[in-house]
Amino acid sequence: MIPGTRRILSALLAAAVSLGVFFPAPAPAARDVAAELRKERGRLLEMKEREEKTALELTEALRKEKLSKGRVGELQKRLKLQRSLLSRIDRKVSALNERLERAEKAVRELEAAHGQARTDLQRAEVVAFAGQRAGAGDPWYPSSRERERHLMRVYLEADAEGVARITRARERKEEELSGLERQGAVTERKMAIEKKVGDTLLSRQEEERRRLAGIEREKKRKEKELKSLRARIARMESVVSRVERQVKERERLARKRAARGSTAKEPAESPRRFASLSGGLSAPLSGKVVTRFGRQHDTTFDVTIENRGVEIEAPSGASVKSVGQGEVAFAGAVSGFGNVLIVQHGGGLFSVYGRLDTFLVKQGEAVKKETVVGSLPESPSGKSVLYLELRAGGTAIDPTSAIPLER
Amino acid sequence: MSGAPSLWWIDWRLSRASLVRETIGRFLCFCLLGSAFLSLLLSGGASRFLAGRYAITAVLRAEVPSAEAEGLARKVAALPPVRSAAYRDPETAWKEFLRAYPGLDSAGGAGGNPMPGYIEIRIRPDRLTGAEVGLVASALRSVSHVEQVLAGEAWLPRLLRIGRIASRVCWGIFGAFLAGFFLVGRLQERARAVALAGDFAFLAERGVPAGRLAVLRAASAAVSGFLLAAAGTSAGGGALFLLLGKFPFLEGVIGPPSDLLLPRTAAAIVLFSCAAALLSAAASLLGWRAARSGRK
Repeated sequence: MIPGTRRILSALLAAAVSLGVFFPAPAPAARDVAAELRKERGRLLEMKEREEKTALELTEALRKEKLSKGRVGELQKRLKLQRSLLSRIDRKVSALNERLERAEKAVRELEAAHGQARTDLQRAEVVAFAGQRAGAGDPWYPSSRERERHLMRVYLEADAEGVARITRARERKEEELSGLERQGAVTERKMAIEKKVGDTLLSRQEEERRRLAGIEREKKRKEKELKSLRARIARMESVVSRVERQVKERERLARKRAARGSTAKEPAESPRRFASLSGGLSAPLSGKVVTRFGRQHDTTFDVTIENRGVEIEAPSGASVKSVGQGEVAFAGAVSGFGNVLIVQHGGGLFSVYGRLDTFLVKQGEAVKKETVVGSLPESPSGKSVLYLELRAGGTAIDPTSAIPLER
Repeated sequence: MSGAPSLWWIDWRLSRASLVRETIGRFLCFCLLGSAFLSLLLSGGASRFLAGRYAITAVLRAEVPSAEAEGLARKVAALPPVRSAAYRDPETAWKEFLRAYPGLDSAGGAGGNPMPGYIEIRIRPDRLTGAEVGLVASALRSVSHVEQVLAGEAWLPRLLRIGRIASRVCWGIFGAFLAGFFLVGRLQERARAVALAGDFAFLAERGVPAGRLAVLRAASAAVSGFLLAAAGTSAGGGALFLLLGKFPFLEGVIGPPSDLLLPRTAAAIVLFSCAAALLSAAASLLGWRAARSGRK
């Protein structure tokens, strides 16, 4: 149960106790009602303060949500830029790969051309040698022979130059190829780094989204809580105004009786202490106190809760006994506390038993000390919890201070 | 006709039959000698043959356009020693090269046709000398378009020397035949003078001087020799003309048939005939003298 709800339920329980006191039971003195009214007003103010606090918390949640959304947007923008960069690098890698393939093909072609040119050159040398031998010493066409020899020299020089040119071209292509390979390696390393950065950004974005989802859940919870609180405040205001009306009515009746000349004065019933009850108080059941009275810090939600009673853990189905002699002022369901039984011990003393499964007494029925008034519900874990609250003069007191309970 | 008999054609009157035989023989010899003379004259010995096989090659630079190369060929052809100058473009040079080296048909050379264009310069046969060739080669080397001049400097002097020797041998053989012809003519003249010695003595007894008789006989021999030489050379020239027309390959050695019709050829025939007349006259006189000395 969240702390806000717990506080609201406590307030409602207090209101219910008041109703139990005011309506089914015989009317207390006007002073007590006025005091109770003041207390209820105080509680109402307290609830309003809590509402303001919750509203502030909601505003804070909204601010956090906006901040987180901004961060998510910024991360998305960075991710988009990252993806664009990666895409550019990818395109560059593709272009480099294409150039690499072309260069490799050119190198292969040049190697083939180089081999062919060398073969041609060797063949030309053989032909030239054979031709020179065949034509050597032919006295009838000396000029033609001389020209043919010269042209053969030109041819061989051109062939040799061709081989050298192809060799140079192949070397240049091989250099280009190795340059492209180096460039490709650098680009791939860069791409790997950028991908890593992208992954980091993605994980940060995911983390931020999770945080945002948490904030949104918190926001929704706060909104729901605020809505519920406001509704309960409205209900409480309605109760308070009804009590006020009753107080005014009692005052009016008192003034009317005074006007009739009645001199008899009702003795003021001063609030009594639980310790003064005849026979003292006894524990409603044997069990361990698991929730203490007063302000407690909830580590789960990091909030401070104010408990107006204690919770006693006991075996499922255990019988609940009245802590003292009195009369059943209320037996019914209260939101957040299940079946609630209120025993009026007189003198403004009440004991409240919440989370009951069944009632064994009826409203208006007189009970003695240790009379079984109800039982705890069955639970699969074998353990159930009883809510016990003691009120003296409209103020909740620590039950462990009046009843010996195992802590 | 007067009472004194004419001594001009006395041999013809006294010994007609033998004279006819000799004349026919001489004519045939003149035909052979005339055609040989004309052949040697036209061919210049071995000059035309060598000139047909010798050419200067001016290898042009690769970047020279065809039009400029053609113009350069025309200018070279205008040089006095040059008989012809023909430009061969790189494509033609490449084809010629492939014909010379058929094993390179499919090679093609790396990067296409590497052959440069060139100009082939042929020298006139009568100007085929080392000096003239050097003149043309140096003129070509001074042209910026020409990359290299292939003039066969290494082997040309030897070739020219061989040519000169061959020419001399040819002319020597011709001279030997001519000398033989002269000797045969002298013997014929002597034999006829001996055979007609009685007739000549008879004439001398009647007051005809022997010297006059010899001169007149020589004169008639010269005239007949001139005519026979002219006719025989012309006939030989005609036969040569027909032969050259029928066998064109002989043009490379002897020359074109049209050269036979040139005035200088006709002049040479006339000169040859004159020489033949002189030789005939000399043979007649020498034969007369030999006959007279033999009679005494």
